[in-house]
Amino acid sequence: MDVSFSYDFPGLLNYWIIVVLMMIGFYIVIAHGNLVKKIVGLNVFQVSVFLLYITLGKIKGGTAPILADGIEAYSNPLPHVLILTAIVVGVATTALGLALVVRIQDAFGTIEEDEIDAIENDA
Amino acid sequence: MNEKLILRVVSKFLIPYILLFALYVQWHGDFGPGGGFQAGVIFAAGFILYALIFGVAPVREVIPAAFTRYLLAVGVLLYSSVGVASLLMGGNFLDYNVLAHEATHGQHIGILLVELGVGITVACAMITIFCTFAGRAELNAPEEEEED
Repeated sequence: MDVSFSYDFPGLLNYWIIVVLMMIGFYIVIAHGNLVKKIVGLNVFQVSVFLLYITLGKIKGGTAPILADGIEAYSNPLPHVLILTAIVVGVATTALGLALVVRIQDAFGTIEEDEIDAIENDA
Repeated sequence: MNEKLILRVVSKFLIPYILLFALYVQWHGDFGPGGGFQAGVIFAAGFILYALIFGVAPVREVIPAAFTRYLLAVGVLLYSSVGVASLLMGGNFLDYNVLAHEATHGQHIGILLVELGVGITVACAMITIFCTFAGRAELNAPEEEEED
């Protein structure tokens, strides 16, 4: 069974997309003071990790892991199931993060980090 | 966004099909791509679209906060009760094979009920999360007007 990937592109395209997405997400997290934008950045970062795991599990020509005639290779279902759970956890953490941002907005009247710092230093 | 005529008409037209597609993804999940997680999110997307266009209050008239909160628990209960049922019928926890007179039939019943539980919980969780966040704006709006 041929499980190797061959593209003219050096390496697997998915891994390049993962690196680019991860760096975009990382940049958003460190470069933006707006807390909602930080959460969006974390989500982009998260998606790159999802893609990494799904790519690791995928085999070229592999099907669903079902016992049936004519099925010889199947993609590893474990990373896929892990990521299904990670997506759900991601939604939960996003909701939690947004809830914290809402409370910060209530307490400080702003969600910009530098403005929150200024208010805290004044107090 | 209530004043946008095109959005109102198109969303009213699309919402039934979104809900129908969610049900298709739900019930077809054991034969093709799909299942409870995806169906639940698509189902919730129909309600969230309605809430975006017409506001959270009309959605909460159709599905009150208490209703979604109860259904959140009902979905988890349905999931776990399938597991307990298979325990009581002599198998392992979530062992679908013993749920019916033959293994294949039991697996069909088991996965259908489990995915239904997942779908209910996910749909209600998404609607609850969205309405809680979006509802704050409508709750806070009258107070700000009084301050002015």
